Amino acid sequence: MKRLSSLACLSFCAAFLLAGCSEHASNGTANAASPVGTAPATDTGGSRKGDFGPPQGEPVEAVLTSPPNVPPPTGRTAPAKVIVNLEVIEKEMPIAEGATYTFWTFGGTVPGSFIRVRQGDTVEFHLHNHPDSKMPHNIDLHGVTGPGGGAASSFTAPGHSSRFTFKALNQGLYVYHCATAPVGMHVANGMYGLILVEPPEGLPKVDREYYVMQGDFYTTTKYREKGYAPFDMQKAIDENPTYVLFNGAETALTGNRALTANVGESVRLYVGNGGPNLVSSFHVIGEIFDKVWYEGGTRYQENVQTTLVPAGGAMIADFHVEVPGSYVLVDHSIFRAFNKGALGILKVEGPENLAIYSGKEVDSVYLGDKVASLAPVQTAATSAAAGTLSLEEQVDAGRALYTGTCSVCHQDSGAGMPGVFPPLAKSDYLAAHDDERIIRIVLNGLTGPVKVNGQDYDSVMPPMSQLTDDEVANILTFVRNSWDNGGGRIAKDKVAEVRAATPRAEGAAH
Amino acid sequence: MLALPLVLYALPALGHAAADAEAQWARIPGDAAFATVLRYEDGDGTVAVRPFELMTRPVTNADFLAFVTRRPEWRRGDVAPVFAEARYLEHWGGPLRLGAQARPRQPVTHVSWFAASAYCESIGARLPTWAEWELAAAADETRPDARDDPAWRERILGWYSKPSSDALPDVGQGTADVHGIHDLHGLVWEWVEDYAAMLVSADNRQQSDPDRLQFCGAGALSTEDRGNYPVLMRIAMLSALEADDTTANLGFRCARDIEGGTP
Amino acid sequence: MNPASRTLLVVLLACASALAAAVQPSALPGDSVYRLDAAMSDQSGNDFTLAQRRGKPQIVAMFYTSCRYVCPLIIDSVKGIERALNDGERARIGFLLVSFDPARDDTAALRSVADKRRLDPARWTLARTGEADVRRLAALLGVRYRALQDGEFNHTSALVLLDADGRKLASSSRLGSVPDPAFLAAVKAALAAPPASP
Repeated sequence: MKRLSSLACLSFCAAFLLAGCSEHASNGTANAASPVGTAPATDTGGSRKGDFGPPQGEPVEAVLTSPPNVPPPTGRTAPAKVIVNLEVIEKEMPIAEGATYTFWTFGGTVPGSFIRVRQGDTVEFHLHNHPDSKMPHNIDLHGVTGPGGGAASSFTAPGHSSRFTFKALNQGLYVYHCATAPVGMHVANGMYGLILVEPPEGLPKVDREYYVMQGDFYTTTKYREKGYAPFDMQKAIDENPTYVLFNGAETALTGNRALTANVGESVRLYVGNGGPNLVSSFHVIGEIFDKVWYEGGTRYQENVQTTLVPAGGAMIADFHVEVPGSYVLVDHSIFRAFNKGALGILKVEGPENLAIYSGKEVDSVYLGDKVASLAPVQTAATSAAAGTLSLEEQVDAGRALYTGTCSVCHQDSGAGMPGVFPPLAKSDYLAAHDDERIIRIVLNGLTGPVKVNGQDYDSVMPPMSQLTDDEVANILTFVRNSWDNGGGRIAKDKVAEVRAATPRAEGAAH
Repeated sequence: MLALPLVLYALPALGHAAADAEAQWARIPGDAAFATVLRYEDGDGTVAVRPFELMTRPVTNADFLAFVTRRPEWRRGDVAPVFAEARYLEHWGGPLRLGAQARPRQPVTHVSWFAASAYCESIGARLPTWAEWELAAAADETRPDARDDPAWRERILGWYSKPSSDALPDVGQGTADVHGIHDLHGLVWEWVEDYAAMLVSADNRQQSDPDRLQFCGAGALSTEDRGNYPVLMRIAMLSALEADDTTANLGFRCARDIEGGTP
Repeated sequence: MNPASRTLLVVLLACASALAAAVQPSALPGDSVYRLDAAMSDQSGNDFTLAQRRGKPQIVAMFYTSCRYVCPLIIDSVKGIERALNDGERARIGFLLVSFDPARDDTAALRSVADKRRLDPARWTLARTGEADVRRLAALLGVRYRALQDGEFNHTSALVLLDADGRKLASSSRLGSVPDPAFLAAVKAALAAPPASP
């Protein structure tokens, strides 16, 4: 009996000890798993601890900036009264080369002006609706504690202004957007932006700060179809965007509007997602985020490749650039980047550092048709609309479009790849076939054996029917007039004719 | 000497006659159970609308000029600020002069609800109610109720998405709808008699959480058919306004009761 | 006419116009609610116009007698203000409640409410006016309302403070017998100001 009870006692104690051990173990793991460099285990206290008392000193007029720029840090150490004046303007602007859209904007830009305040500031917000506006508008700032985020207090008819005041109790990076019925349409037309409520001690200093905001756009026209693009409510309800863009236009962050930095600098991106529908998988090709304040909150994660930005949400990413080149900002739901326009460039200049990266610049495949200016395409579109399209304009536009689309296989020089992709330069095949035939090849693809310039090829060219009529016409005009191909000119009506008359292959776009 | 006052007296009357001769009316058949977009909590989603007459086109600058000529208390500068805000008729060249920015046959804009009501009353008419307006506006060229047709919606949404920076076209252009009415869509927003009766929360995310004390009796109006965006946007516009407000794209037309009309 | 008579005539005319000017009140300010030329009648059947309310600050609200929810609260709210005033202040203010429902709120109905709630007719006026003027007055006061199918009304509730000339000074939608402190302060300030001269 005694033996049994002592055994029982022993096992009892052992069980306790083991339980104690495992608890310690789990504590240990928990500690190891908690993110490095976060604030101490206690929280910031949220809104309850966000009221630092009444504003001190003279009221300050907020510095608002247009994207991609960010106002400088407030540098304040005490709560202030900040006056924000923001104007709603409805205006038609380019959404892609040769295509325009009527945007409804805060401050004349998509996204709207960046607002920067400090936690504890009292913000006196003046919303003005330009007299030329057709619609009433209001604003919902996600950083406001109060009904509707300010929306109910700021409903503003055209030609009128509203005012409301709130205290920024929570630190963080917040989205603001219009919340007038129907909200989806107002947001889809570009009515969103970011407001940064700095923590009391400010954010760590960096060399460059940029403002990027993703949005999805819904038009009755096709992707890159030229001309005016009306809003499509049904596509918006179906969550089937035509464009997914950074900062409201396909060329907002490319070419001479690319973001810039120098080797050795620290860069911070304030990234928002206005939606209205899609969530973003934000990634910068060639870079890793050293710190991501995920969801725009207080804690950061480190060493992140791709981070989610919810619709109606934001995040802050810090990274350091070591190597020159063009870094591509994308939504890594990748078809959005290459087929809907969710693509931007950060151009970094400075000395090479071969120890870190020795390869070629990531230039041709991803960037060709973006970094190369698409201005000739715009020129051609304008002339075509006016009826004055010249051969030279078609060739220039065709050249810009060829790079990155056709050059991937047929090369910039038109030389192709021996045995794999036929050349286009001084091609006997092109000389022997009429326009209709080569248009058909571009639209429907070509499989099977062909002989070009004495060489046999037996490959697959995929249908390129996602190119619009004028794009095909311009590209083929360029090809016919380059590399000793003898000249020629193709009109977009001819392409339309061929497109309508020949059946599309399976998997072709349209 | 005496003839002058007589002539001056007669002139406005002539203007009155001219405006009246211009205004044409079309009969809108009633509907005992018109399906409205506003979800009234005391109804079943329908509202009874008696047959009524509606002006075939909005009131024009010329019409309104004739009105203020004979009613000095509604002239720009003389009107009580409580009845019209500072932008009242600001696009006219002067209190009694249209000027280059206001063509006679453009719909009159920059008018407040008080001014619009007074105009309609002065010709023995009134502003239409929202229900009457919604009923009339459901029509297209061939049908009294085209609201299920996506094309009807798209056309209206197309107008909404264009900013107001271009000069307004004249009234009455294009085809009339099946009732013979022009310009209910695509030209200007229009005042209605009970714009203030649409107790819709401006923030349409709150439709199911009304502030009971604020709106005596029950919650604020909610919208029945959220897919009917064109109508929703019109309601949002009207709900944003106060009676003395004026905007560059807000005008009006008048309605009349029909003697003995029953729904 | 001889010179003496002419002088007399001129003097008489001058006196008459001076008298007329003295009798004629100064024009209502452009931002006065009393610019609305509405014919009203009160719970005793007396007719009056809004302009006749000139001379004392007023608290104006809109209600209807068969209202079961908020309207009793509106009366409570105004009574709360009444209680918070001293005798002198009470003598210098008027309370005007206008019905949304002139069709059903006849003089007898108005009188019945005044009696039931023991509203002193020296200060309290329960009034009715034509439907078009109800809409216009509501617009001027910033009150929104809608007639329901069963005869009830949906409406916003506001107490509006007007100065002696009918200009809006303050407005409150906080209801209850404990007055909104900011509104009460505005009422007292309005009553402390010297009475406006005509």
